[in-house]
Amino acid sequence: MKPLPKFKYHAPSTVEEALYLLATLDEAEPVAGGTDLVPLMRDAACSPSNLVDLNNVAELNYVREDSGYICIGATATHAQVASSPIAAKAPALVDAVSGIGSPQVRNRATIAGNLCNASPAADSAPPLLVHEAEVAIRSLKGTRIIPLEELFAGPKLNTLEPDELVTEVRLPAPPEGAGSSFKRIGRRKAFTLSVVSAAAYVELSGGEITEARLAFGSVAETPIRTRAVEELLRGKALTGGLLDKAAESVKAEVSPITDVRGTAEYRRDMCGVLLRRALAEAAERAR
Amino acid sequence: MRVNFGLNGAPVTVDAEPYTSLVDMLRDELDAKSVKKGCEQGECGACTVLLDGSPVASCLVLAPQVEGRYVTTLEGLEKNSLMIDLREAFMENGAVQCGFCTPGMLISAYALLRDNPHPTEREVKRGIEGNICRCTGFTKILEAILDAAERIAPE
Repeated sequence: MKPLPKFKYHAPSTVEEALYLLATLDEAEPVAGGTDLVPLMRDAACSPSNLVDLNNVAELNYVREDSGYICIGATATHAQVASSPIAAKAPALVDAVSGIGSPQVRNRATIAGNLCNASPAADSAPPLLVHEAEVAIRSLKGTRIIPLEELFAGPKLNTLEPDELVTEVRLPAPPEGAGSSFKRIGRRKAFTLSVVSAAAYVELSGGEITEARLAFGSVAETPIRTRAVEELLRGKALTGGLLDKAAESVKAEVSPITDVRGTAEYRRDMCGVLLRRALAEAAERAR
Repeated sequence: MRVNFGLNGAPVTVDAEPYTSLVDMLRDELDAKSVKKGCEQGECGACTVLLDGSPVASCLVLAPQVEGRYVTTLEGLEKNSLMIDLREAFMENGAVQCGFCTPGMLISAYALLRDNPHPTEREVKRGIEGNICRCTGFTKILEAILDAAERIAPE
């Protein structure tokens, strides 16, 4: 029996109202799915005085295509994104969010919440990083749009001000000849945190890699891109030799730690393994 | 605060503090004792209910979050033909031992078969990945759900 700490509950119906509440209330936290926040509150790791529930803000619930972007509203759940024909254009994202948590979690948890939680192990992050996602952040002062990478400040730390709200995550709709993939290793197959996760995005033209992006989870203080390895891949043909070289090089670009889920050495090695799997599948999908 | 919602087909009004979880409100105020309280972390699935038709962990839902929405527990599916098939298949396949996970497991299985009446073994495993059973080792539950799927009359 772990009672929740007391708080005042607010259910705004517009973004403006939500922003006003976040700006004026003391110790206010936005909540959508609550799948991270509620357990934290039960463990007294987080005890906001005010909860601002976003579930009644209808204008935040969407997955749509707009001006060449796939746009994911702040309250779009993992289940919504997993079944969206629009999100299907970013297969790495769909694969990742289809495997996060359990059906019960995916029906409540949101992509924006997964990102704001800023866990190095957030499975939605590597796919969104390789798809060069941006985050729209609003407050009463205005809107700013930042690359997803700049949302992460460290383990469980984001760069949001207390009065700011992530209202949208958006990624460019991939062109023809692009493919992406997400691969993970967990302690078991279902409903578990990733020990290591990896996403790859490639654009191919006549067998040549014209663009390559790679991102990893659970191997640094935040989910990270590995840009040196990306550079190694660009302009080359995807051969076994190139894969070997990339899989070796990536180990120098990550900085994993040893924890209850795995050792630093294991994680480093698995980056090479997952890079191969993700790149191979992304290339397959690009063809 | 007052919370108005639909429970098992009937409108209900409950006076609940906002820091009450849905599982507590259902069990303590509305006598829906099929909903079991396990980990209170959203990990075990014993408290699974349908919220607007989708399975959710009711320990992670705050009471005021169901305002104007529909909640279904096992009590509301007592006479549902799919649930009757599932219940019988669970009993006949030995899928119930201590029984604590069973209501949540049945809700997840119900949502799975409602949306996908003839799932593969892998799809069944995915459907119940949020429900932990510490007795059966899952095999008999898996068999029971596949058996229930066979009992569903073809359309």
